[in-house]
Amino acid sequence: MIKPFFYLKPRTLEEALDALQSDGARALAGGTDLLVEIRNGERRPETLVDIKGLKDLEDLTFDPQKGATIGAGVSLNVLIDNAQVRKHLPVLSEAAFSIATYQLRNRATLVGNFCNASPAADMAPALYILGAEVVIANAEGQRRLPIHEFLTGVKQTALKQGELVLRVEIPRLPKGKMAFLKKQRIKGHDLALVNMAGLADRPTGALRICIGACAVTPVLLSDIGSLYKDAKDVEKLAERVAELSGTAISPIDDVRCSKEYREDMVRVFVKRLVRQICSGG
Amino acid sequence: MKRENNSVKITVTVNGIEYRETVPAHTTLLQFLREKLLLTGTKEGCGIGECGACTVIMNGKSVASCLVLAAEVDGAQVRTVEGEMRDGELSALQKAFIEHGATQCGFCTPGMIMSAQELLERNSNPSREEIVEAIAGNLCRCTGYEPIVEAIEAVITSKDSPRRST
Repeated sequence: MIKPFFYLKPRTLEEALDALQSDGARALAGGTDLLVEIRNGERRPETLVDIKGLKDLEDLTFDPQKGATIGAGVSLNVLIDNAQVRKHLPVLSEAAFSIATYQLRNRATLVGNFCNASPAADMAPALYILGAEVVIANAEGQRRLPIHEFLTGVKQTALKQGELVLRVEIPRLPKGKMAFLKKQRIKGHDLALVNMAGLADRPTGALRICIGACAVTPVLLSDIGSLYKDAKDVEKLAERVAELSGTAISPIDDVRCSKEYREDMVRVFVKRLVRQICSGG
Repeated sequence: MKRENNSVKITVTVNGIEYRETVPAHTTLLQFLREKLLLTGTKEGCGIGECGACTVIMNGKSVASCLVLAAEVDGAQVRTVEGEMRDGELSALQKAFIEHGATQCGFCTPGMIMSAQELLERNSNPSREEIVEAIAGNLCRCTGYEPIVEAIEAVITSKDSPRRST
């Protein structure tokens, strides 16, 4: 039995921020995580503040110089259908396409996916490697946080009472190859056992890999850029990065698989990812 | 923005008919359709957005009605399986489902029809892969899916247009 709650549909950002000040208020975007949690009794909000339709929140902007901005109301299907995103930020489209099912992606939003702060959130690793920044509104104005500072723990974020995420920004469009990989129990609607996103740019020697579902927050591998610069053989690089990733993660046993299986899958998938993004030019 | 009680007034068009109702804020669209409007064609399977039995079309997009609040459809256009038959005649897709044996126990059929209908309205010539992707969120435990995909393909190749004006 669902615990009753109030529903508010603010017309302005000010009204929304005001409503979010109250105890037990929670922002509602696509609702595909939140309404399941309420149904399961995992969350018992007093008030849902429906942010859909608020000005600017549906915006998805793209500029070769300024980068991309994705509003908190942008659904995953809108993101997937955007040709500019597919061309310049394919890792976002791939990660979004791997989530749930078509009818859920009509409602689920990119911002909601990481605000829910599941360790297995599929959009998070992609946002880490893209250096995304989260733009937050509050009564005083706005503040921004890099995604790795926004996500603080399992179901925990840096968002305070009375605050709302307006959008996520990719400040600079990256060069190079990028990819998203995900290991699931079944081919279809399931959360990731392991997910990861990678970006490699041969001319600058940049290599960024972020692994999800293997710690409380996504793990961005550090110091692998230097390995890439010196690497002559992709296979050896893949082995070395896989080895490093094993020490960076701290997976647990859960309902989906064991700690050991996650460790094995990280090795396998990191190698696949390195081969995919570091091969060729 | 009044908070005296948790009821919400909504005006919603369902299958072309406008309804003005007051609903508790925690009512889902699925409960609203089945229990208030008595449109019981839309089914509840899992209740958590995984099975697709509750799929309806909201403002032109397929959604899991178990994960939409009735309060959220204020001002929206909603279509359910009951609205697919017009003037006593089944839609092209419904006929194809019958002809191809795409329904057995029938529990997934209303959601399956709505997912497939929405696909055909945004993409008049989908590939087999696109069809499979569009109905991947609709679980069927009887047919093995092949007859369902065949039924949808049959509508694409037939002259009987699946398009609808509303």
